Amino acid sequence: MKSFKIFTLLFLLSLTSYAQNNNKAYSWHFNHLTFSEFSHAVTQKTGIKVFYEESWVKNVRVTIQNDSLTALDAVKLALQETTITTSYWNGDIVLMPKVMLITSLPVYNKKIEVAKQTKETKITASENRYLKGRRPDVIKSIQVGYKGGPIERGKAKVLGRVLDEETGEPINYATVYIEETKSGAVTDNNGFFILMLSPGKYNAVFNILGFQEKKYQLNVLSNGTFTVHLAKKMINIKEVVVHGDRQMNINKKDPGIEKIPVKSIKELPMMMGERDILKVSATLPGIIDSEGSSGLNVRGGGSDQNAFYIDNIPIYNTAHLFGFFPAFNSDIIKDFSIYKGYIPAQYGGRLSSVFNITTRQGNMKHFTAHGGVSPVAGNLVLEGPIKKNSLSYIFSGRSTYSDWILKKIPDATIRNSRANFYDFSGGLNFDSQKTQVSLFMYRSKDHFKLSDLNDYNYGNKGASLIISHNFSNSLRGSFSFIGSQYGFATVDKQEVSSAYSHAYNLEHYEFKAEFKQVINNNNTLNYGLDAILYKLDRGIVEPYGVASLRKEVNLGKEKGVVTSLFVSDNYEVSPRLTLMAGVRVALFAPLGPQNVYLYQPNGPMELQYVSDSILFNNNQPVKKYIEPDVRLAVNFKLDENSSIKLAFNQMHQNLFMLNNTISVAPNTQWKLADYHIKPSRSNQVSAGIFHFFNKSNIEASVDVYYKEEFNYPQFKDGASFLNSPHIETAVLQGKAKAYGIEVLIKRTNKKLDGWLSYTYSRSLIQVNGGDVWNSINYGLVYPSNYDVPHVANLVLNYHLSRRISFSSIVTYQSGRPVTYPISVYYVDGYPYLEYSKRNAYRIPDYFRTDLSMSIEGNLRRKKFLHNSLLISVYNITGRKNAYSVFFKTDNGRIESYKYSVIGVPILTVTWVFKLGNYASE
Amino acid sequence: MQAFKNIIWFLIALFSLTSCIDSYKPVIKSNDKGKYVVMGNVDKNDTVQTVNVSMTSSISDPNYIAVTGCSVEIQNDKGINFPLSDNGDGTYTGKIDPQYMTPGSAFRVNIKTPDGTDIESDYDTISSCPPVDSVYYNQESQYTNNANDENKGIQLYSDLKGQNSDSRYYKWTLTETWEYHAKWPIRWYYYLGTVYHVVPDDYSKMVCWHTLLIPKIYLLSTKNLSDNDYKRFPLNFVGSDTRRLEYGYSLLIKLEALSHSAYVFWERMRLNNNSNGGLYEKQPLTVIGNLHNVTHPNIQVLGFFSAVSSHTKRIFIHPIPGLQLTFKDFCTVRALRKGIIELRGLDYIVYLAGNDETYFPTVYTRECVDCTLLGGVTDKPSYWPN
Repeated sequence: MKSFKIFTLLFLLSLTSYAQNNNKAYSWHFNHLTFSEFSHAVTQKTGIKVFYEESWVKNVRVTIQNDSLTALDAVKLALQETTITTSYWNGDIVLMPKVMLITSLPVYNKKIEVAKQTKETKITASENRYLKGRRPDVIKSIQVGYKGGPIERGKAKVLGRVLDEETGEPINYATVYIEETKSGAVTDNNGFFILMLSPGKYNAVFNILGFQEKKYQLNVLSNGTFTVHLAKKMINIKEVVVHGDRQMNINKKDPGIEKIPVKSIKELPMMMGERDILKVSATLPGIIDSEGSSGLNVRGGGSDQNAFYIDNIPIYNTAHLFGFFPAFNSDIIKDFSIYKGYIPAQYGGRLSSVFNITTRQGNMKHFTAHGGVSPVAGNLVLEGPIKKNSLSYIFSGRSTYSDWILKKIPDATIRNSRANFYDFSGGLNFDSQKTQVSLFMYRSKDHFKLSDLNDYNYGNKGASLIISHNFSNSLRGSFSFIGSQYGFATVDKQEVSSAYSHAYNLEHYEFKAEFKQVINNNNTLNYGLDAILYKLDRGIVEPYGVASLRKEVNLGKEKGVVTSLFVSDNYEVSPRLTLMAGVRVALFAPLGPQNVYLYQPNGPMELQYVSDSILFNNNQPVKKYIEPDVRLAVNFKLDENSSIKLAFNQMHQNLFMLNNTISVAPNTQWKLADYHIKPSRSNQVSAGIFHFFNKSNIEASVDVYYKEEFNYPQFKDGASFLNSPHIETAVLQGKAKAYGIEVLIKRTNKKLDGWLSYTYSRSLIQVNGGDVWNSINYGLVYPSNYDVPHVANLVLNYHLSRRISFSSIVTYQSGRPVTYPISVYYVDGYPYLEYSKRNAYRIPDYFRTDLSMSIEGNLRRKKFLHNSLLISVYNITGRKNAYSVFFKTDNGRIESYKYSVIGVPILTVTWVFKLGNYASE
Repeated sequence: MQAFKNIIWFLIALFSLTSCIDSYKPVIKSNDKGKYVVMGNVDKNDTVQTVNVSMTSSISDPNYIAVTGCSVEIQNDKGINFPLSDNGDGTYTGKIDPQYMTPGSAFRVNIKTPDGTDIESDYDTISSCPPVDSVYYNQESQYTNNANDENKGIQLYSDLKGQNSDSRYYKWTLTETWEYHAKWPIRWYYYLGTVYHVVPDDYSKMVCWHTLLIPKIYLLSTKNLSDNDYKRFPLNFVGSDTRRLEYGYSLLIKLEALSHSAYVFWERMRLNNNSNGGLYEKQPLTVIGNLHNVTHPNIQVLGFFSAVSSHTKRIFIHPIPGLQLTFKDFCTVRALRKGIIELRGLDYIVYLAGNDETYFPTVYTRECVDCTLLGGVTDKPSYWPN
């Protein structure tokens, strides 16, 4: 009944007018007073009494130095760090915890059902919502700043923040849309956004997928801050949003924000029940993934042309178990963005794309745990506050127990083999409104042992410390300290005489400072500095065992620094036209110590043609490469529901993979550009059109792109990366071009939703140095290994009820290019095969259908554990998709075969659990 | 690159419950057909030098298409020509005085085909070859794709001991010969309604020798090794599932010293023909030979003309202590339920069991008494020990 009293009080209060002149300004000079001392001073100075409860303000210390403030503004200033609201009442000041005193008459269209109020002593958030939420159209109002507060050139700088009501976690990529100005902003990783608004009242819409849309009236008085809490929609937990091609962040109708509502990736059918966000991303246009390979190909680029970041940590091997599983736990992902057209200037270093993963912060309010068990692996996530609302932790671990499968296999070689992997990560997050600090650590490891023939170990580890700070309402900075390491160790004892061991190690140290500054209403600057130190130890190929006659080869160490400066401006030319222009200039220098061979001019770079050598001292630049990138994007809104975007994007890449197999092997080495091998670069132009069909809730977009790449490294036929530290002897650099058209149609937030994507694209390579020794495929243009012209994906989700939903993925890809044997000839009576020009043929087309059903546990509100099951069938038609076509000469007969990795339907059941009820986080 | 093969193996096995290998026939474009193939070499160890000219054939209908009627000449770097004569089966042979074939001398081939195409090779230089060092075997097992099944047998090895002046590139060519026996001599047979008794027993088709060139390419480069030596270079494996080891096995090892370009050619040939087609399959290599179509430079000529020096060694192996042989001899015995009457109407020879006095109503398959049916010859090779 207490709340009922408060409610009546509020009602009465709202009827009261305050005619007294309270607008008189006073001069205030206080230093570190308690609130009661302060309120005493207010009464003494102005005669106005301040009503409050001692417990609300016991921690408040007041420091004000101002010569012209009203009493109310002074009290507001004193309480700005709290959630306490301040209002006049009968000429005095009343403080209220959290609740705004309503000063205008609300419109009610329903009787108030007082009887439903509970007996709790304080107004709870839901009751508050209940109280406030009964007014159609008239919405909650938020006051920003205070009357007479500072503004700049007629505009107030508004720093807002969006948090999850339930967990206190910041929500990133939420859009804020101001109806009056038709402009908006998008929140960053810490939930912040900045707006420049003339003082006045605005309708602001806050929107992010998975949360209830909220509308507020912003009453902007001066520069100021405010926080908005959004409530989750009652859909599945841990919704991960995959952003297709993030191009520009303006408002919710923007085509750049290609949010794919993976209504919890958990619902989608997955290979062996292991959720894989990378495979889901490959259902978007322009991203190709193939079964049994650990790389993705984006817009015709190689798998080493994608940058993967988890909380700014670069990951050099993103796969477990040869690419069948991702190297990180999908449960800790908060946001997953892919940039493939326009890439913002703060990113660089890879030609094709940036995959940016932001992990979740631990729950700021209470401890919780969740996890899952699939036939091959189990995972667990623990999280909770260390200090409520300001410091939290999250820990996730995953490990496989797939050995039992191997033991079931009758072959002796396999029975004695092992395949293990694990990954874990931990994060600490500190959050005061002004400063956010996050520490994140990551580790993944794989081990395979093939009988006693060979042994592979590889792993990633990394840590990042990110400090973000609001210097002012219009300037935010973030500083990242990043370390990452990738390494593998192999022992090959297949042949006694040539058995060897080899270990490889790559270290990446990075410092990144990034600033976001709102210059004025129309311009937001992003600028910063990025410095990376690479340390590569390509390892020593050592003879293994006493019988090995292998010569020890030291593949050498490499060092390199890249220092980049970047600046970009987001310029809102008009409500319809937005321009993003950025420049990134990198200076790349491979560093000594290095012994560089010089070769006879105009001849092959082979060891027999070495003419001289140069010895570089420690840290002496071997070469300096200046790499300017220009990034431009224009976004033009045709009307409320459609827009056009154009972009020009330049990239440089200094680090590439030594790989001459079709897939990415677990012992893949990375190599820096050096004295001989030039960094590669690319230019891309792209254009897109977007339309939203209001009636059907369908969004459609079409994108076209054309990309050229220069100094594209290709490996000579049969190149070996273990025989020599001088990789220039195995590499040729050529040109590549890629072009395509991408179509995406999607429907969200319906009982039946999902998306359909189609891509037509080509990816072609030419390596022609003019001679046989510096050309590949006789110098002719050939399709790259990942030239897949037609790709179509259909993802459908049917939400039968809150507890049961069905999903399906249908994938079609043209066959990948392959070099076929084209004829047979005989040597000494035995047949041999002649092969076609490189990649002149294609393997059969790929087609696969997966289905899944997800069943949620009961919806009881009070329970300890919530369970859900995912039943998924991978490749339900059992189609034998060709992984490769190969030929064998067996006893004089040539037989051709196709090999399918997954040629049968695979049924898996995964159990997922979490503490709390259906909706808990 | 062996590592990749292992991974393939591993994956095939790991996904053996789900993966499969099926027969598949790709369609080949018509313009990828019909090229000249020239193989030949100059070897001091050979009394006649041979060059072979043929055409490529289609994958679906592979056969040897000989090109006859060419004029073929071998030329050395001093400008001396050695014409070869046409044998009518695509091979062209001739003699070169051994005095010209010393290490350091170079040879090439010139061919004029009947359709007027001129084909020429690059010069290839002879390098010196060490003698074949010890050849020995070890009893080992090979894994098979069948569950719990291992194929026991012997793995042959050879050591290499080269001088610094010798080549660093080697190729082994292996020719195996084994003796095998039919189960019984010919004693009784039925032919066109009559049963014949052979007296005395006919042993002429009971003992055969089979000689085969092993098609695998064995190559070694000691370029990256500290010495021009190699221990335990694996040669062929002889399994207990063949009858090779029953009565005696002989291996002729020919070691050739190659030039670098010949080694690259053969290495690519070897890699291209050992494709396993797994997950980490490599891009097939462009095999670049040293022959050129002078008339139509755009049309590729396949093959290689090499100048080598070589040594051979023959070894004999018998018996293998403790090795159980599990081969199939194709000899089965079938009892006639109704007696000889069952054979009435057959117009071919049916061999019967029997003792000196009478035949039994029991039929042998022909392999039981005729070893030549399994590919061998009854003439004992001159090198075969008694």
